[in-house]
Amino acid sequence: MDEWIRQAELWVGQAESWIRQQPSEQIYVAAAVVAVTILVLIAASCLKSSKPNTIVLSGLSGSGKTTLFYQLRDGSSHQGTVTSMEENNDTFVLHSEQERKGKVKPVHIVDVPGHARLKPKLDEVLPKAAGVIFVVDAQDFLSSMQAAAEYLYDILTKATVVKKKVPVLIFCNKTDKVTAHSKEFIKKQLEKEINKLRESRNAISSADISDEVQLGFPGEAFNFSQCQNKVTVAEGAGSTGNVSPAEQFIREYVKA
Amino acid sequence: MLNQSCCSWIGSILVSSGAARSDPDPDPDPPVLLFDLISLLSPITLRFASIPSIDPIPIALQVQPPATMLEELLIFTRGGLILWSSCRALGAAALKGSPIDALIRSCLLEERSADASFSHDNYALKWTFHNDLGLVFVAVYQKILHLLYVDDLLAAVRREFALIYDPRRTAYDNDFTDIFRQLHREAEARAEEMKKSKQALSSRLPPPTLLAHRKAAPKVRGGGGKPSAASSANKSGDSSDGDSDHHALTNGSSLATRPAAVPSKSKAGKENGAPKDNGAFDVTRLQRLRNKNDKKTNTGAADNNGTKKLTKPDPTKKKGKQDRVWDDKPSNKKLDFTDPADERGDEVADRVAVIEGESMMDKDEDLTSDSEDEEEAQDGPKKKGWFSSMFQSIAGNNVLDKSDLQPALKALKDRLMSKNVAEEIAEKLCESVAASLEGKKLGSFTRISSTVQTAMEEALLRILTPRRSIDILRDVHAAKERGRPYVIVFVGVNGVGKSTNLAKVAYWLLQHNLSVTLAACDTFRSGAVEQLRTHARRLQIPIFEKGYEKDPAVVAREAIQEASRNKSDVVLVDTAGRMQDNEPLMRALSKLINLNSPDLVLFVGEALVGNDAVDQLTKFNQKLADLSAVPTARLIDGILLTKFDTIDDKVGAALSMVYISGAPVMFVGCGQSYTDLKKLNVKSIVKTLLK
Repeated sequence: MDEWIRQAELWVGQAESWIRQQPSEQIYVAAAVVAVTILVLIAASCLKSSKPNTIVLSGLSGSGKTTLFYQLRDGSSHQGTVTSMEENNDTFVLHSEQERKGKVKPVHIVDVPGHARLKPKLDEVLPKAAGVIFVVDAQDFLSSMQAAAEYLYDILTKATVVKKKVPVLIFCNKTDKVTAHSKEFIKKQLEKEINKLRESRNAISSADISDEVQLGFPGEAFNFSQCQNKVTVAEGAGSTGNVSPAEQFIREYVKA
Repeated sequence: MLNQSCCSWIGSILVSSGAARSDPDPDPDPPVLLFDLISLLSPITLRFASIPSIDPIPIALQVQPPATMLEELLIFTRGGLILWSSCRALGAAALKGSPIDALIRSCLLEERSADASFSHDNYALKWTFHNDLGLVFVAVYQKILHLLYVDDLLAAVRREFALIYDPRRTAYDNDFTDIFRQLHREAEARAEEMKKSKQALSSRLPPPTLLAHRKAAPKVRGGGGKPSAASSANKSGDSSDGDSDHHALTNGSSLATRPAAVPSKSKAGKENGAPKDNGAFDVTRLQRLRNKNDKKTNTGAADNNGTKKLTKPDPTKKKGKQDRVWDDKPSNKKLDFTDPADERGDEVADRVAVIEGESMMDKDEDLTSDSEDEEEAQDGPKKKGWFSSMFQSIAGNNVLDKSDLQPALKALKDRLMSKNVAEEIAEKLCESVAASLEGKKLGSFTRISSTVQTAMEEALLRILTPRRSIDILRDVHAAKERGRPYVIVFVGVNGVGKSTNLAKVAYWLLQHNLSVTLAACDTFRSGAVEQLRTHARRLQIPIFEKGYEKDPAVVAREAIQEASRNKSDVVLVDTAGRMQDNEPLMRALSKLINLNSPDLVLFVGEALVGNDAVDQLTKFNQKLADLSAVPTARLIDGILLTKFDTIDDKVGAALSMVYISGAPVMFVGCGQSYTDLKKLNVKSIVKTLLK
C-alpha cells in the first residue's frame, strides 16, 4: 500500500514539473479545446433529446388500438386482444419496413388504454409525443360518437399538443366490416360533435383541466383545418393488416 | 351431439323399463320421469363419453359435475394481447358474449381484483395474476356448476407458464397445450380425492354449529390459489373471533369466505390507546379487551370501531322510544298548512332575485403544489426489519411476498380509515392492491412502503376517475335539441341536504342561461313544498307543486309534462328522504323513477357519513334494480356529496361511495349558500387521503 502511494506521489510530481515546462500558450489552447468539446457534446445531447419520436395510439376502448399496435410491430394481431389494462410500450422497426435494406430507424410507439378510468395515463404520455394516431371504430361509430368526440376534444385542447403542433391522424378502423361508415361521414360527425362541445365548454372552465385551449374560431362552425396542428383522416382495418395510412403517417413524422 | 343422443337413448330405455315396472300406477307421467332420469344420467354419460382416460369411479347415481365443464382458460398480458386460449388450442366452442371484457371492465379495473369470483350471464370467472411478468390468467366455467379445482388449476398454470414465458414470444400453442391438458387432469383428480375425503370426514363429524355459520362473515382473504371455499365453513369457526367486532355488512357482491390461514392479527379489532383515538371511552371496548387476549395491534381504527359500537345500542333505544305512548295523542287531522292562495306570501317576501356571484363550479381550483413528502409511518414493527429491508431494497432483487406487504398495507388501511373511509372498502382496496403487487420484483433502491404507496395512489386515482362523462351541460344541450327537458331526480336518506343542493344546482344552471323548473315531489315532510317555493321565488324560476299527500310519481310526471309545454330546459325533482331499509318508501321511489325515466338519478350523500355509506348505496341500488319493471334497471347515475365544508381532511366518504356504486361524484356541496357547489378534484382528494 505505502509503495503505491509513494509511486503515485512520484507520478504527480513528475506531471507537475512537466506541465511547468510547457510554454503557457499551449496549455491555454489545450484547455480551450477541451472546454469546446465538452460544450459541443452537451449541446448535441440537448438537441437530440428534445425531439420526441414517440407515436401515441389513443382512442376509445374497443376501437382496435392494441390490434393496430401488434400489426405495426409483427404484421399480425396474433390470437386477438382483450381490453388493455396497461399501456403497450415498445420501440421497434415497423414490420413492413423490416425487409428494407439499409438503416431503418426504429419507432417508439405507445398504445394507451382507452378505458375511461385509465385516462390519466394518456396525460403522462402526450408531452413526449411526436404524433398522435386517434383510432375510431368505424363500425360502431354512432353509439360512441359523443364519447369519441370528447376524447378527441381533450387531446386537441391539451396545451402541449397545441404548442408543439403535434399532428393527429384520425384512423377509422374496422372498415373491412360491411356496416362501417366512411371516413368523410366520420369526419363530419366528429366536427359537429366537437362544435357542440366547444360551446358547452367555453362557457365554463372546468376545475380539473387547467390547461385547456380554445379550439377553432368563435362564431364559426368547427372544422379540423382550424386547428393549429395538422389533423388528417384515414381509414383502414387493423385485423386484416390494412394499416398503410398509419405507417405512412409514422414515417412522415418520425424521420428515418 | 353424441352425448345428447347417447343419453337420450339410455334415458329412453330406462323410461320404457321404468314404465313397464310402474304400470300399475294410474298416471305414470312419463315426461317428468324421463326428464328426471336424463338429468340424472347426462352427467354420467358425458363423463364417460368425454374423458375416457379417467379412472372409472363407481357412480351410485349421484349427480356429479361433469369434469370438462371448464369452458375456457385464457392467458393474456396486462397490455391486452392474448397469449394462449384453451378454446382455440383444444378446439372447443368459443364463449358466448365477451365475459372477459366484462370482467376487466367491471371488476379488475374497479379495484375488485381481490374478489373470489365474478359472474356474467351464465359464466363464472376466476382469475389470478402474475404481477412480475404482467400476465393475467382467467378461467371461465358455467355458473351453475361449482368446480372445486379451478383455483388449484390456476395456480398450477401460472407456475408452469411462468417458466416458458418470453416477452418477445407471442405463440405458445405447441408448448403449452400439452402441459395444460396434464395440469387439468391432475387438478381434477386432486379435487375428486379431496371431495371424497371430505365426504368421509363430514359423515364422521357432527355438522358445524349454527354459531360458526353466523360468524362466517364475508371477509375475503385475498390472493389466489387457495383451495375450495367449501371447506371454509369448518375453518371459519376458529378464525371468527374477531368477526363479531365487524359488522357483517352484506353488500350483494360475490365474496366467498376463504379459510383464514393468517391468524387474526390483521383483523384490527383490538385497540389499546391508539394515538389517534379522540372518541369517548367506550365500555364495550373494555369488555372486549378483557374477553380477548389477542395481540395488541396498533390501529387507527379506534374512531370507526368506537362509533360503530356506539351506534349498536342505539337501535334498541330507538325502538323503546317508538313504543312510548303519549298521553295527549294528537288528532289524526292532517297538519297541512299550505295556503292555496299565495298572495300574502308574495308581498312579504323579497322579490329581489338572488345575485350572489359566480357559482364555485365555474371557478378554477387553485391547486397548491405542495411537496408530496410521504410521511413515514413511524410505527414500531417497521424498525425491526429496517436493516434487512434496506439491504434488500438496495439489492433490488426482492420478490414481494404477501407477508412483506402486510405491514405496509395495514398502515395504509389504518390511514385510510382514519380519513373516514368505510372499513370494508379500505379492506377490499388493500387486498386489491396486494393482489396486484404480489410476486412483483422490487426495483432497486425502492422501499416496500413506497411501492405500496404508489400502487395505492394509482388505484385510488383509477377509482375516482369517472367512468363516463360528467359534463351535464352537454347532456342538457343534447336533450334540448331533442326537444325534451332534462330531468334530474335527487334521492337520498333523510337530512343530507337534497333540497338545499337542489337549489344550488338550479342556481348554477341558471348562470349558464338554461331555464329550470323545480318539481316538489317531497309530499311528505312538512314545509318541504314551502322550502322549495322560497327557493323558486328567490331564483325566480317556476315551480310545479301539488301540495302534500299526493303521489310523488304522478306529481313528477305532471311536472315534466308542464315543463315540456313551457319549453323548460331542465327539471329538478326533489324527493322525500327515506331510509334504505324502508321497503314501502323504496318501492315508491322506484315507481317514481320507472314512471318518469329521468335522465340523471343523483344520489345525495353527506360527507360526514361513515360506514353507513356502503349500506345506503348498496341498498338503494339493489332496490332500484329489484323493483324495476324493465330488465335494464335505472340505477344511481351520479353522486352529490354534501356538507363537504364540515370535514377538514376526512374525505373518505367520497371514496366509499364511488367504490361501492361505481357512479362518479358530479357535484360537491361545500356550504349553505347558492354559490357553494364545486366539482370534485380527484388529485387533491387522493393526496388528502394518503397524507
